[in-house]
Parts: sequence; structure tokens; C-alpha cells
Amino acid sequence: MADLEIRNLHVRTEDREILHGVDLTVSRGEVHALMGPNGSGKSTLANTILGHPSYEITEGTITFRGTDLTEADPEDRAQAGLFLAFQYPVAIPGVSVANFLRMALNTRREEPIGVKEFGGQLRHAVDLLKVDRQFTSRHLNDGFSGGEKKRCEILQMAMLRPEVAVLDETDSGLDTHARRTVAEGVNALHTETGMGALIITHYQRILHYIEPGFVHILLDGRIVREGGPELVDQLEREGYDWLREEAEVAAADG
Amino acid sequence: MAEAALTPAPGARSTKPGAAREATLYQPLAGAGAGDGRSPEELREAALAVYETAEAPAWRRSGFWTTSLRDLDLAALEPRHPEPGAGVPDVAREALGDEPLAGLLVQRGAGVVHCELRPEVAAQGVVLCSLEDALRDHRELVQAHFMHRLTYDRDMFEAAAAAFWTGGAFLHVPRGVRVELPLQVVYVIDEAGSAQYAHTLAVGGENADFRLREYDLAAPFEGPALHAGAFELYLEAGARCRLAHFQDWGAEGAEVHDVSTHLVRVGRDAHCSWVPIHLGGHLTRQHLELATAEPGADMRHRGIYFTEGSEHLDLFTVDLHEVGPTTGDTIWKGAATGRSRASYEGLIKIEVGAQESHTYLQTHSMMLSPQAKVDAIPSLIVETDSVSASHGGTVGEIDEALIFYMRTRGLSREEAVRVIVEGYFEPIVVQLEDSSLEGLVRERISAKLAAAAADIEAYAAAR
Repeated sequence: MADLEIRNLHVRTEDREILHGVDLTVSRGEVHALMGPNGSGKSTLANTILGHPSYEITEGTITFRGTDLTEADPEDRAQAGLFLAFQYPVAIPGVSVANFLRMALNTRREEPIGVKEFGGQLRHAVDLLKVDRQFTSRHLNDGFSGGEKKRCEILQMAMLRPEVAVLDETDSGLDTHARRTVAEGVNALHTETGMGALIITHYQRILHYIEPGFVHILLDGRIVREGGPELVDQLEREGYDWLREEAEVAAADG
Repeated sequence: MAEAALTPAPGARSTKPGAAREATLYQPLAGAGAGDGRSPEELREAALAVYETAEAPAWRRSGFWTTSLRDLDLAALEPRHPEPGAGVPDVAREALGDEPLAGLLVQRGAGVVHCELRPEVAAQGVVLCSLEDALRDHRELVQAHFMHRLTYDRDMFEAAAAAFWTGGAFLHVPRGVRVELPLQVVYVIDEAGSAQYAHTLAVGGENADFRLREYDLAAPFEGPALHAGAFELYLEAGARCRLAHFQDWGAEGAEVHDVSTHLVRVGRDAHCSWVPIHLGGHLTRQHLELATAEPGADMRHRGIYFTEGSEHLDLFTVDLHEVGPTTGDTIWKGAATGRSRASYEGLIKIEVGAQESHTYLQTHSMMLSPQAKVDAIPSLIVETDSVSASHGGTVGEIDEALIFYMRTRGLSREEAVRVIVEGYFEPIVVQLEDSSLEGLVRERISAKLAAAAADIEAYAAAR
């Protein structure tokens, strides 16, 4: 049984249905890429996996390690081992990165984490991701550059050690150097903890640094093609148009 | 944070209707003051004459905001003198903890029950005693400053405070003296029917450097009480003071009405950092004025309020520049839960002759309940040229995007709200540079949020 199982997921916002029956499974140790053009529903899927209240699931299920999380609160999903690296992380003034991480870790524990243990984990994560130690005493994302925000997402991921992480366009808006740093962080965690990852991206670029074992292509709220890393190269050569044409033909035939 | 700018209008002279309204509401302390050489006894007489013909006041603003004390039954209130031998009440002990202080004066009801000053601080010439004692023992010093910049005729409660004050606090830090530990004044009300007419007079001599805190605290009791207070601090050339007011009248059952005027005058090249904190009170109306009165005067003003239940808070602050060059910098942050009302108005006033004044004021309010009402009004009166003054205000609510973000990290909705609101106040709290008071403020804010959790949740669900 896979760790994260998404079955026939239909999702709508107030005015329209965005996902029309998505099936997807991600297990520990696996790296999946979810690709698709803008507006295909990628971010909707990411947010729905973590239980964003603005998205309504009208049909289908999300289970994680056998537990049905379709209706669960976001915090319960997080505590079960899911993580979302946001496309646009928000700023929380007045709360340092370190304090926030301590609070988040404590939600997963019976007893609050000790100063020494926390310090050790933070040092380890900071070294692993090659971020400046000073970074953790700044207020969370407050006044951070785009690259710093994304690195902060990866730092949180490293500290919270999820079973499966969803990375929503974590590569967008980054320069080559920052993209490489983020990718190396994901790889390091994957190697170290066996974390599973669902990397959502519009571009192929980040996948030069992180090799996915599985590639899924989302188009207009449906997964239209699945395969291995070779699919990434095909997309790079040919773009999304051929998939769109195929989908239209399939719809006409249907 | 979803914040809508109300009236951000940087620039010199404001022509907004709001400013014109303020101009009529603002009754200046300067110029109409008592500082004309009259003795404290003569001032008492004059204030009494005003009191006898005054009516209970109501402050109206913009048609929808009224602070009225007409329903307060003054006949049912009277000064309550503590029993002989009465000590420092528990509520004060708890707030103070075991932090070492340079000096401590505690007034309970109408009388001072405790006054002590470290011998080494007294040896430097510092005076801390009741104002009553100071009139006898340090008469010249008191008379040189007493009500120099306060008025007694703007409203009935101001007149009452000037006519009936008892106990009181007097602090004098002489020229060149530096006091490291805090000097502490505490006013406690611990019984219903108590009318506390308080008066603190503090003077920092040339190049003096000290910290002063005034705490206003209530112990639980059932029924109404009054605190009509005056506070005045004069900083002479080169003096530096870190000043904090901590008001928490919000004890169970207590209905404390607080009508007070607080004034700080900053002299030549002197500096004052002033942080008033309002964390509880049945009805509060305060006029807080910070005057940079001589060239080189500099002030930093930070404020916090957090209302709950059915509390009503009406704050009017004035950043007054009488000469140039002077500098100022004001930031207030507030939040309101329950059915409370909180209004903050911050006026920058730059007078004729105050060229080269540079100042800045901003105010932020956060609504945490559908029934709460908040008002954040910055305004500006500039009567000269060659100045820079800007102001801005926002009223906001808690941003759901922040809550979702934190929930995906495992925090509950309630914890996320707490983090957001505490984080909102935190940049002001740390500027107290006072770990003891910072702890007290954080603890109270946290307790208020816990008490209002259901209310805040209902608000979010309704949106």
C-alpha cells in the first residue's frame, strides 16, 4: 500500500470544479514530479492534499498510511507526516524562524523539545542546507527575498522530517544558484530520511537536479499521462501542446 | 495581513476633514496650563471652583464615537484611605515579582502604603516619596514643576483630580545622576466605590538618566470605581528617561473608570522613550501628550492596547513640537475582542516656530471579533514650514492565509491565532527593553487570547 493515496479526487472552489477525478500515489522513498501548464490545477491539488479550507472535495478520497484524511484538519495531516512547501510563503512578523520551528516540532511531541536537542537538530538542518545560522533568528519570511523564502520552506521541511512532502512550484522565481540549493536540500533529505516527494513544477529545470522516478502530467484537472523521467525530456523537447491535442482527440472519441 | 489603509497621507499640511475635526477636539495643555507661579494650594482652590460648576463630560467624534461619563454616579464614589498598617496588595506584588528596583512607591486607594528607595540611590540625591510628603519636605522643588504644564479646567474629572488628589508620587533625579534599576510607582484600586485621585510628578535634572514605570492595577471587586489621574514628567537639558505605563484595571468584576492626563515635556537635547500599555479597564479616556519643547529634544513613543469583553477605551495622543529642531517617532498597535470598543487618535502638532521638526506617526488596529469596534485615526496640524511629518493608520483582521500556513506545520487554529497576534505586538514589546515588564505584557496578552479563543473562532467561521 502506498503512503499517500489520492483516489478519484474531484475538487471545486466556490465557482467551478477544478480537479475532475485525480488518482495519484506517493510513497516514502519515491520522488514524483507533477507537471502541467499554468491553470491545470497543480496548486489546487497541492493545497487540497493539505486541507485548504477554500477547496471543497466533492468526490474521492485522500488517505495516508491507511487513514482517511479526506475531511481532516490541516494540522492533523501535518502531524500525520505530510508537508507542503508553499509556492508563495506568507510572512509572519514578530515570530522568529527558530521559535516557529520549535512550536511546530512540539505539536508532534508529548513533551516540549529540550533546548539542547532543538539546538542540535537546528544546527544539523542549517548545515545540511548550507544556510546562514543568522537566518533562524529572523522573523519568519518577514522581509525575505524570494530565494530566502523558498530556502526557509526547505529548512522547515528538514526540521519537521515529513514522510511525504509536496513542493508547490518551489523552483519558480529562483535563479540558477538558488534553484540548485533548493534541489540539493530536497535530495539530501530524500537520501537521509527516505522522505517521499511530490514535486509540482511548471518547468523542467529543477528536474535537472532532482531525478524523479515517476512523472505525472496534469492538464485541465485530469492526469493525462504518466511515465518515467523520459517524459520530462519529451516535454522539454515538445512542450505541452501535443498532450493537449491528444486530450482533445480522446474527448472527441469519448 | 489584510490591512486597509485608512488615511495614509504623508506630507506637510493635512487638509483632510479628519484633521479639521481634531483641531476642534484638541484642547491644548500648553498655554492654558497651570504653570503661572500659583502654589499647589491655590491650584487646588482654583480646580475646586471649576469642579463645582462642571458637568460630567462626553467626548464626541465623527458622529459615531462617544465616550461619556454621564452614567457614572459620582455620589457613590469617594476616596478610600487604606487602614493603618495596610501593606502592598498582592496584585502589586504579583506584577512586580522579585525584580530588584531602585525605588518603589505604592498607593492603595487614596493613600500611599509603601515607599522605599535603595540607600545608595538616595545617597545620590534621588528623591522618591509621596507628593503629600514632597510638598512638606521638598517644597521648592515641587512648586517649580507642579502642574507646570497640566490644566485643571478642560473637564470635570481633570478638575476633580487637581482638586482632590491625595497621596501621589514625587520623583526627582538630580542633575547628572544615573539610576540603572527601575524606579517604580504603582496605583492599586481594590474596592468598589473607590475614587482614586492620583498625581505623579517626576523631574529629571540636567543629564539625569533613569527608568520610570507606573503600573495601574485593580484587584478583583464587584462594582464601579474611579481613577482620575494626572502624570507629569519634566526632562531638563540632556536628560534621558525610559518611561512605561502599564494599565491593567481588568480584574474580575471591577468596573474601573479611568480619566487621566499624562504629559511628558522633553527639554533641550533630552530624550524620552515612552511606552504606554493598556491591557484592561471598564472605561478609559486618556490624553497622552509628549512635548518636544526645546531644540534637540527627541522622543520615541510606542503604545499597545488590547481591549476585551465590554471595555471601552478612548486614547488621544499628541506629539507636540513647540520648537525646532526636534524629532519624534510614534507607533501604536492595538487589538480588540468581544464587544469592546477601542479608539486611538494620534495627533502630530507642529507649532509656529518649530522649523526643522521631523516626526512620524503610525497606528495599527486589529479586530478579533465581529462585535468589536476599533478606530485608528492619525492626524496632523502643521503651522510652519521646513518640517517633515508623516502619518498612517490601518485597521486589519487576521489573515486566513497565515492561519492555513501555520496549520500545515501542525499548529492548531487557536495556536496560529495566538502566534499571529503575539507576533503583531512583539516588535513593540521588545522595544520596552525591560525583561520584567515584557514578560508581564506577554503573559497578559496570551491570557486575553486564551479567554477570547471561542470568540475569535466564531469570527473566522462567520467570514
